[in-house]
Amino acid sequence: MKKFFPLSLAASLTVLASACGADNVQEQAGEAETEETENEAEDSADDEEAEEDASADGEVSGTLSFYTSQPDEDADALIEGFNEIHPDVEVEVFRSGTEEVISRLLAEEEAGSAQADVLLLADAVTFEGLKEDDLLHEYESPELDAIPEQFVDEDGMYTGTKIMSTVLAYNTELVEDEPVSWADLTSDEAENEVIMPSPLYSGAAAYNAGVFSRTDGFGWEFYEDLHENDTTTVQGNGDVLQNVAGGEKAYGMVVDFVVANAKEEGSPIDLVYPEEGVPVITEPVGIMDDAENVEAAEAFVDFILSEEGQELSTEVGYVPIRAEMDPPEDLQGAEEVDELSADLNEMMQTRDEDTEEFNMIFGE
Amino acid sequence: MADIERPKGDKSPLLFWKNQRITTYLIFGIIFFIFNYSEVLSEGRTWQMIENTMVMVIGSTALSVSLGLFFAWLVAYSDIRKKSLLQIFILIPFIIPSYIVSLSWTELMGRTGPFASMLDMLPFDIEPLNMYSMGGMIFVLGLSHFPLVYLFTVGVLRSIPRDLEWAAKSGGAPSHRVFREVTLPLALPGLASGGLIAFIANLDNFGIPAFLGIPANITVLSTAIYQEVIGFGSDAFSRAATLSVILAIVALMGTMLQWWLVKKSNQLETTQQDHAPRFTLGRWRIAIETAVWGFLLFITIVPVLSMLRTSLIQAYGLPLTSENATFSHYLFVLFENDRAQSAIMNSIFLAGTTTLFCLIVGTAFAYLRSRRPNALNGILELFIALPYALPGMVLALAMIFMWLEPIPGWNPGIYGTIGILLIAYITRFLILQVRGSATAFSQVDRSMEEAAHVFGAKTMTKWKSILVPLLLPGLLSGALLVFLTALTELTVSSLLWSSGSETIGLVIFNFEQAGYSTYSSAFSTVIVLTILVGMIGYYVLQQIWKKRVNNS
Repeated sequence: MKKFFPLSLAASLTVLASACGADNVQEQAGEAETEETENEAEDSADDEEAEEDASADGEVSGTLSFYTSQPDEDADALIEGFNEIHPDVEVEVFRSGTEEVISRLLAEEEAGSAQADVLLLADAVTFEGLKEDDLLHEYESPELDAIPEQFVDEDGMYTGTKIMSTVLAYNTELVEDEPVSWADLTSDEAENEVIMPSPLYSGAAAYNAGVFSRTDGFGWEFYEDLHENDTTTVQGNGDVLQNVAGGEKAYGMVVDFVVANAKEEGSPIDLVYPEEGVPVITEPVGIMDDAENVEAAEAFVDFILSEEGQELSTEVGYVPIRAEMDPPEDLQGAEEVDELSADLNEMMQTRDEDTEEFNMIFGE
Repeated sequence: MADIERPKGDKSPLLFWKNQRITTYLIFGIIFFIFNYSEVLSEGRTWQMIENTMVMVIGSTALSVSLGLFFAWLVAYSDIRKKSLLQIFILIPFIIPSYIVSLSWTELMGRTGPFASMLDMLPFDIEPLNMYSMGGMIFVLGLSHFPLVYLFTVGVLRSIPRDLEWAAKSGGAPSHRVFREVTLPLALPGLASGGLIAFIANLDNFGIPAFLGIPANITVLSTAIYQEVIGFGSDAFSRAATLSVILAIVALMGTMLQWWLVKKSNQLETTQQDHAPRFTLGRWRIAIETAVWGFLLFITIVPVLSMLRTSLIQAYGLPLTSENATFSHYLFVLFENDRAQSAIMNSIFLAGTTTLFCLIVGTAFAYLRSRRPNALNGILELFIALPYALPGMVLALAMIFMWLEPIPGWNPGIYGTIGILLIAYITRFLILQVRGSATAFSQVDRSMEEAAHVFGAKTMTKWKSILVPLLLPGLLSGALLVFLTALTELTVSSLLWSSGSETIGLVIFNFEQAGYSTYSSAFSTVIVLTILVGMIGYYVLQQIWKKRVNNS
């Protein structure tokens, strides 16, 4: 059934495209390509040589297509660092929201072949789905020794790249007593004061719902209580941050590092790791099964997981996945964090039912 | 992607093959819809959502049409002063990104906002309006899209011959009857075109219902489709497709209504736009001017100020005081971030090329459509309107299916370049030009052309000396719409861009997603101010030129 959607839509668009005169457009694309090549030349001057004596000396080269949901700043720092070690690899990035990246990837897969070599997306459940569809390439990076095993896929299909805990954020001007527990969100003081991303629109929030609903002491009752307490849902973590920092709401369920960044800049916001533990997403990285440049892809994954690569994203404000490295101020690292988790494959299988359940509770 | 061969030439087998494929797709598509409808439509939630969608779209379109018609009438007929400047302010709500508009109104109405503190001073207890509601969605959508109605209507009103109205008036009809029975029917082609475009824009808008509707648990078609697509369950795409078809049907109903209205409208006999005022506001002029400018300034300054404020504070949530104010966000987005500059160049290139292409092809099509209307070009027009009506995400996915490998095993090399964005923009925005041009053609009576023809004017001469001057204002307002819409396009770009082809909308989206609302506000401010400076510059040049003409 899956295939029909694209086809019927494509049908109407084909008519259009031929009506629009594809010639003209192709010319434009040609021009754009030339422009792009010029830019590339500036970026890495010795690129052209690289294409020619590809991997003659065992050094990786060629182009690498990287699809990611990281913010630009983070992705740029990684690629720059990678190119210092492997100057002959040209990394082409597609960056967007996790939801957009995965939609594009699956659409490409349906249309012929996925164009990505390396993928880096918000949560492990998304990768479980790709694994289920046999879209991933198995790779065991030598860097895995330094990474706690609960953040590594047992079949070697993907590996976490950072620790992103969903924490309790609060507005320091509106809240006097620092909250300590998730239960504080369902207390009377928090009535109509809590905001969180909606699992219907955000993959990371869907992951949290999957974990909480399977954890003793929470379950779906936790969400029912949140709803009773007039909790507001919004599209994503960015919206939660804005509402809490701006004083529209006093408490938010949100990813830790955005709060730490805003706090450092001076926003009236702070965060706590509730005593029951926190759901953790790890922004895993994986290689596509039909990657064209497997060598470069593996080198890139190694670099992301390496101490140098982790150092770069720590500078941007993330918690490293390597156990021995220190997290940025205010944040808990891989060793310290008290992770709430659930079976990833099961959560992938039941994501539809989970969002359905959430919709029943929070729906109109 | 540079290593992929791009075969050239010999198009005919390809075309034939594509046609084969179209037929196959259509057949499969129909079979699939029949199977899937029953499931999706049997769910109570689907009907609730369709009801929400209808309420939202009809409400906001009604608001857009009323505001658009009112301002068009005022600018076209009354003796209100500074009309060109007024026109610039009318267009502002359309160029400010919709997330800024939504955010600013929620800030204004929020409990920490200025409106709440004003109400606090009152002795009795009133809560500010809750923007996270159906009313809030209708309000913001209606405000964002009334400039569409205005642009399509103002030229039509000017072309209505004043003697018709005079005749009615001297026959003793009161002004409101003249308006209802003479002016309105004659203005219908423009009003219906603008209303249709506003209707579709309200229908497929994602940003505003997502921002204001999610907290209120109000789901409409566009947000429901997004939910299905990102749910990527086993039948996610097919359910999203089913919902898209429902959306297309709603859009189709709107188009039918527009056709019916145009058929009902009266054909004009004159062709010249008449810029002289027909209605003096008399002693009410100052009062009306104050009210109109007050309203416009309010609806434009609220979002602009909120955008400025966020872009100037050190960190989100701090009050704007001299200690907390900084220009560093501007410096960052303009000079330290290497994406912003290339995004501006890319967007200008994309919007410019799209506008030029649509101006030529869209106008040619509109000419055919209005001079030789038949079933074939009627259906073609529906196909041109469809990509504008579909949510951007669905169109972008369809583009991937279409262009990644048009023939299995052959990648023409367009996908993954800026070319795919160009194709997507043209596909999506062509209808804006078609409607703009068609409205312009409906103003020029065919007898004008025939007259020129009879007197032996060659086709070129006919176009150059007769049609172009008459049509130009209408064609250009269509082109302006295409340009402005393409310049800040977001959803399609967020799925189709590639290294080196980032756009303005995308840079804003990326800052927002990473939680840097100060950066995204700074960049939005730069863009909005640049467009404004461009428009005001044009206005000033126009004034200087007018003076020269008058002096000589």
